[in-house]
Amino acid sequence: MSAVPLAARELAIARGSRTLAQGVELELRRGEVVALLGPNGAGKSTLLATLAGLLEPAAGRVERGGRVAAALQAPALARRSVRANVEAALAWWGVPRDQRRERALTALRALRVEQLAERPAAALSGGEARRVHLARGLALQPDALLLDEPFAGLDAPTRAELLHDASTLLRAPERATLLVVHDRAEAWALADRVAVLLDGELVSGPTAELLEQPPTAALAGFLGFSGELREADGASVRLRPGHVVADPAGPLAGRVTHRIPEEDGLLCELELEDERGLLQLRLPHPGPAAGELVRVRIDGGVRIAAGAR
Amino acid sequence: MAFVLHLLDEAFARIAGGDGALVETALRTLWFASLATLFALLAGLPLALWLADGRTRARRIGLTLANAGLGLPPVVLGVYLALLLLPASPLGGLSWDYRPPAVVLAQTLLALPIVVALSAAALRTLPPGLLEQARAFGASRPQRALLALREARVGLAAAVIATLGSALAEVGAVVIVGGNIRGSTNTLASTVLLDLAASDTPGAIADALVLVALLLLLALVLTLVQQGRTRDATAEGLV
Amino acid sequence: MDALFDGLGDAFRLIVHGDRDLIATTLRTLRIGVEATLLAALLGLPLGCLLGLRRFRGRGVLLTLANAGMRTPPVVLGLLLWVALWPDSRWGGGPLAGLGWIYTLDAVILAQTLLALPIVIALTAAAVQAVPAALLDQARAFGASPWQTALLALREARIGVVAALLTALGTAMAAVGAILVVGTSLGNATLATAALTNWEMGGQNAAAVAYGTVLLGIFLVLAAALTRLQHRRTWAAQT
Repeated sequence: MSAVPLAARELAIARGSRTLAQGVELELRRGEVVALLGPNGAGKSTLLATLAGLLEPAAGRVERGGRVAAALQAPALARRSVRANVEAALAWWGVPRDQRRERALTALRALRVEQLAERPAAALSGGEARRVHLARGLALQPDALLLDEPFAGLDAPTRAELLHDASTLLRAPERATLLVVHDRAEAWALADRVAVLLDGELVSGPTAELLEQPPTAALAGFLGFSGELREADGASVRLRPGHVVADPAGPLAGRVTHRIPEEDGLLCELELEDERGLLQLRLPHPGPAAGELVRVRIDGGVRIAAGAR
Repeated sequence: MAFVLHLLDEAFARIAGGDGALVETALRTLWFASLATLFALLAGLPLALWLADGRTRARRIGLTLANAGLGLPPVVLGVYLALLLLPASPLGGLSWDYRPPAVVLAQTLLALPIVVALSAAALRTLPPGLLEQARAFGASRPQRALLALREARVGLAAAVIATLGSALAEVGAVVIVGGNIRGSTNTLASTVLLDLAASDTPGAIADALVLVALLLLLALVLTLVQQGRTRDATAEGLV
Repeated sequence: MDALFDGLGDAFRLIVHGDRDLIATTLRTLRIGVEATLLAALLGLPLGCLLGLRRFRGRGVLLTLANAGMRTPPVVLGLLLWVALWPDSRWGGGPLAGLGWIYTLDAVILAQTLLALPIVIALTAAAVQAVPAALLDQARAFGASPWQTALLALREARIGVVAALLTALGTAMAAVGAILVVGTSLGNATLATAALTNWEMGGQNAAAVAYGTVLLGIFLVLAAALTRLQHRRTWAAQT
């Protein structure tokens, strides 16, 4: 049994004649959960379909050290009962007939949808369909499980509930799991490692490291480091709103150019004096008026040297 | 094979020689089919416009009837129509039995469900909010009808062509109500039967070839119309 | 009015009393329709799945052919078969002369099968094509073989597939053009449709109307079944 059930080597992916990414290197090891992030249209679903063997690589190769199953983005359930849907997937996977029912029900129970087993799949709510879809993938017990946005299209409470359940279920010592996620909160909650597909390249690293210390300006921008402080040597410090603290004795000052009221406070955009850059910070309601001068200090952020992309 | 080649050879000679009866039959076939399609459009398009907005029970039933009518065996229509046209029957006063108007009437009745069902289907593919939006902007009923016909024009053209095609090739009802009288109510398709009965196989083949040529011409027109629509549509590959 | 009511009344009597010829002809019509549809299904379902689900070179051409085949004039198809089956002449016989099927029921079944086949292929292809690609991709992502994927598609599209078979059955029983060519002079062994076209208006009205009414009954049953299917399909699409 290989410790790496799925790996991409020098992989290029394409949809139609358009190459979406190349030079993709990725190893999925047993027991780990990897989150795949990227802007819309970057090719996350294409990468997943290529890793699953549904699309041919445009170049490079996909190495499989075990069986790979993919749960695609649409829950795509056939017009049959929930249990029949899970059992059909087990049949395709090659599970003997006499074991299918038990395995299907076990997986449905794990996702707390066992009571829906005999319902027609067409009658499920969005959240229920997502749970059944996930149960179907888990029931197969593949060596590598690929999940494309398993929480897409759910309202906030339903999503939070499923995220809560998934955080324990997705972790299994014998299985490698790759999931395309929609936002950083899902990556934080679920993944040991994060891979970001941006501008045709895949960058990966341990979750906390990559999300807190993105190596390039483009990655920092995508990962929510929206503020930029230009330094004298040409380097820049990229900052999330949480890295900027209002402080009357702070070394920097800027004028408020935008005010966006939010649940947790007022998100202010500051234009720093001396053209040092633009920052965002969150202040308690009601906060300063537009045009007001605010003094701040920096606490955190990531420094990107001059010349680094 | 010699048999087939010989027949084809004679049939082509007949067509190339511009056989008077053949030309006359072809023109009559086109005339009957065009008239029937025209009448069916006049009656069917308003009906389709009304049915396409299938939100009431009556409209849904109408649509169902039109769809079912697509499968009506022509001979059934022919036999009832012929009965109605008998001299002592309700429509006997018209004295249409075994005469061209009876053929056109039968063809029109057969064409009607095709026009209605296919036009309604084409109209139903319009974006859902389009007509409501026009209405919200104050468009009158005739203006909305015109907009709908304009937007669905490719589907409507397909409906017209399908109707013409089936009218050109129909044989069952034509033979029953028209009597398949040579020189008066025969069409290309029904002349195949006349020629075969008269042991004129090359003649039958010539009729069939001209009929197929007409249908291919229609198919070509339809393809051109449809390509005009899809020329700029891009096909994205699926996963 | 007399002719109409006499015709209808006598026809009704023939049907109620179970006229021997009428029953035999009806059964023969049904038998030929069912046999032709079964044969067409045997060939057409796999081909329809292949054309609807797989992408390969020449697929577009084959789909176009199937769609065009649905519009083949029955008379033309009949004439092609007649030429192919014709046993002998000064120039030899047709390519299929060896079968000895000219003017037999076998020829009739072959003709109706060939008419039904493109319907089964084209409508099955359209039905399985309408199955969401995501569903089939998902099956592949869970390791389904091409066979398993095709079965899933057929199962999901079952309403459309049954509708395709019913449409084929309707055509196999209603189309008369080909039968008139390859099955003439079958004498007593005729079909309801063919019998009607031989009817001379005025004479034997009762028998003609009885045949027409029986055919109408068959058509209504098929149309009702198709309508129910279509309603189930819209219902399924809504939930």
